Amino acid sequence: MDVDRLRQDAAALLADGRARMVIGFRDRAGDRVPAFITDAEQAGELVYDEACRQNLAAYLKKAELARFRPVAIVARPAVMRSLVLLAAEAQVADADVLVLGVSDDDEYHGILDLAATAALLNEKYAEMPHDPDLVKRIEEISAMTPEERSTFWTEQFARCTRCYACRAACPMCYCTQCIVEKNVPQWISTAAAGHGNYAWNIIRAFHLAGRCTECGACEAACPQGIPLMLLNVVLARDVEEEFGIKVGYDAEAEPVIGSWSPDDGEDFIR
Amino acid sequence: MKLIDADKLTDLAAALARAGYRVVAPIDDSGVVRLKEWAEGAAIRTDAVPVNSAKDFLFPPSEIIGRWDLDGDDFTPRDVQPDAPKTVLLAVRPCDAAALTLLDTVFNWDYKDEFYNARRQAATVVPMVCTAADEQCFCTSVGGAPDATAGADAMLRPADGGTTLILEPLTDKGNVLLDAAGPALAEGDAVADPPVEIPRRFDVEAVTEWLSRNFESDLWPAISLACLGCGACAYACPTCHCFDIQDEATRRESVRLKNWDSCGFGLFTLHAGGHNPRPDQAARWRNRVMHKFSYIPERFKLLGCTGCGRCARVCGAGMSMSEVCRLIADETKKAPTHES
Amino acid sequence: MSPDPDQAQAVQQPGGNLYTPITMTIADSRDETYDVRTLRLEFPGEAERAAFFEKYRVGMFGLYGVPGAGESAFCIASPPTQDQYIECTFRKAGRVTAALRDREVGQTITFRGPYGNFFPIEEWKGKNIVFIAGGIALPPIRAVIWNILDRRDEFGDVTIVYGARTVADLVYKHELQQWQKRDDVKLILTVDPGGETDDWKGEIGFVPAVLEKAAPSAENAVAVVCGPPVMIKFTLPPLKQLSFPDADAYTTLENRMKCGVGKCGRCNVGSLYVCKDGPVFTIEQLKNLPQGDL
Repeated sequence: MDVDRLRQDAAALLADGRARMVIGFRDRAGDRVPAFITDAEQAGELVYDEACRQNLAAYLKKAELARFRPVAIVARPAVMRSLVLLAAEAQVADADVLVLGVSDDDEYHGILDLAATAALLNEKYAEMPHDPDLVKRIEEISAMTPEERSTFWTEQFARCTRCYACRAACPMCYCTQCIVEKNVPQWISTAAAGHGNYAWNIIRAFHLAGRCTECGACEAACPQGIPLMLLNVVLARDVEEEFGIKVGYDAEAEPVIGSWSPDDGEDFIR
Repeated sequence: MKLIDADKLTDLAAALARAGYRVVAPIDDSGVVRLKEWAEGAAIRTDAVPVNSAKDFLFPPSEIIGRWDLDGDDFTPRDVQPDAPKTVLLAVRPCDAAALTLLDTVFNWDYKDEFYNARRQAATVVPMVCTAADEQCFCTSVGGAPDATAGADAMLRPADGGTTLILEPLTDKGNVLLDAAGPALAEGDAVADPPVEIPRRFDVEAVTEWLSRNFESDLWPAISLACLGCGACAYACPTCHCFDIQDEATRRESVRLKNWDSCGFGLFTLHAGGHNPRPDQAARWRNRVMHKFSYIPERFKLLGCTGCGRCARVCGAGMSMSEVCRLIADETKKAPTHES
Repeated sequence: MSPDPDQAQAVQQPGGNLYTPITMTIADSRDETYDVRTLRLEFPGEAERAAFFEKYRVGMFGLYGVPGAGESAFCIASPPTQDQYIECTFRKAGRVTAALRDREVGQTITFRGPYGNFFPIEEWKGKNIVFIAGGIALPPIRAVIWNILDRRDEFGDVTIVYGARTVADLVYKHELQQWQKRDDVKLILTVDPGGETDDWKGEIGFVPAVLEKAAPSAENAVAVVCGPPVMIKFTLPPLKQLSFPDADAYTTLENRMKCGVGKCGRCNVGSLYVCKDGPVFTIEQLKNLPQGDL
């Protein structure tokens, strides 16, 4: 990837004021960590490669960063979808976001506004095939009996310590008071144990149904290595099959779960 | 001296398990090194710092501290005892053992927490000297060392080029453990390998001194931008001990739980009246750093960090306590400006 | 003003642990305002009562709870001189306070305490005392007021400046009347402008302004202030103007608390734990705390 072009574009955006901040990645002793650049001179520290797994769109929910608008975000296709979806959910104004488009196959797409981002997604990234290993695991688990599945997930969730790194990493988890933080009533047990862990992980997956852009940041952030993408991808696929919609491609689209049409499949509400 | 082949650590684990210890060791868990209860067949790995710390077994993520039977509006208290099986923390890191000094202090500094104490007393701590380290390790910057014995009942020392382990008892509990290990250990001589050299990453005294003068500083918003306010670092940290007390109930029974909590969460200090003294991540990061490098040293004459580096390894957003301390130490090296 | 290290174990059940509460019975319940209630609580037995009052000094707090809902920390709103019961006054603000409000006279709640430090009233003997309180912050001050009034001869003049947003928000209304009637107490009540009723006879104005107007003498006096952070902030200038030294002015802080015993790491303001080094602080100590952590 032509990282130099990325750096030049970032510098240009800051120099001429098209962006007040560029959020990208920098190197720290081999790790890829976020960079928050407000000065064109700092653009040289930007890097990008496939080790950059964080979804930087998550930073749009940080109140401390709200004054740095317009903001330019280094985004691969799944992250571009997050940005388009955040605009569709009215969390960010179209004019406040610019994209420095990157891809996992080393292509640099330059500076894009939100409309151009959506256009690019529809043109080049309408199909984003999943990791074959992930697909295989989904098939294996789908073939399990309910008891086997229960054993599998109980084992996975037993490791959850309720650190909420998954929630923090996700740009779509922007509720100022998460359901797990409500205690009147206490919808979900806060103890890092059995039923509460199940409830937390499954409810989060459900709250993301029709909203997850399958960026994988949650699974990458989980300190316990819980395979969260298994849940999220299955639900995303279900939404696609049931509603014929893939999210994050249209900044004007109504939320899938938050809208109703007479043609919807279920007939208990007519 | 008592020896065991370095690749026979599972034999030692097995012997200790037969002697009635719950053996906790760094286990290979689908490729990840995790401190877990060892069971026959599990591979012990000492080639990486485990993702979790020994604190999990003395101060678990959730435990019951109160129990009541409920009958309509009436309640009857029931007895609650700490769950404290005889345990060996085998081949943990010296930085984890060093952290116990702080946990011992906090949980006992005038009120005594019997839940922690029961587990602590039932635990025999056997760190293994580190002959390797990674970029995130910084024990030597916070008064520790890869062969430090603080908090240890016995030490495992790699020897003879890593082929052998010396098991050296340090306390009565250590001696009891060696006896329990029985024939798993051989008698012999070996030369301990030198511990890994970890360069000092920052001057911690300079950090503490800077903190005493810089509660207000532009550094706090600057260094906390990447933080998204989860609890991963606090939970992985061997010295972090903040907890929440929470009740849960069915119609017939209620329990009062002590659950891990983190000062990084937004709601940690939210008052019932709506005021939050730490309303943004900058204030919460300031508290985190101050607690470890200023308040704990002031109150207990100990550092609140043992340099294990887990926080940086687990952080999904690129925060690192070591990097923050380096940035602070760099501030102190700049030419003095007018005091704020 | 640190707690006595011999007070290491608060009242506990036999065989209980640090977090084990005792079971208190609600002897009386009184609504102070539409959302503020006072409960009078009696001990389960003489042993528990005696053990509590051996440790309790005015200013200390406790954790009051309902199994299933949780615990909440408030001050102990009655003085050690009233040693057959304790009282607490709280506003319904969330899950635990709602559960406490649902309890009726004759029913039970859990209690842990007394925790924290206390007002050094023994050092105030012979001095004049000026109490300044706002709204729902009167309860901790009320405990001190009664402690002083129950030992009236030992102290000098007693002046109370108390205000709330509206007349309806004043708590302990019947006690305010009692204090008004006493000739050994000077009580100045105020409500915020717009908070008065047609028959209101007290002052109208914010507490700091009313304090300035009342201008109690700082000579041989201590001040005891409690209120929401903003009220305290605006009370400090008039106190200073009246020459009350910061070391002779006291306040009590409330932070979000869970364990109450210095372990859960939640209530610290800078390096001081409100549950251990407080909740009572001098204004001098308060000013030395990092204001950005308050």
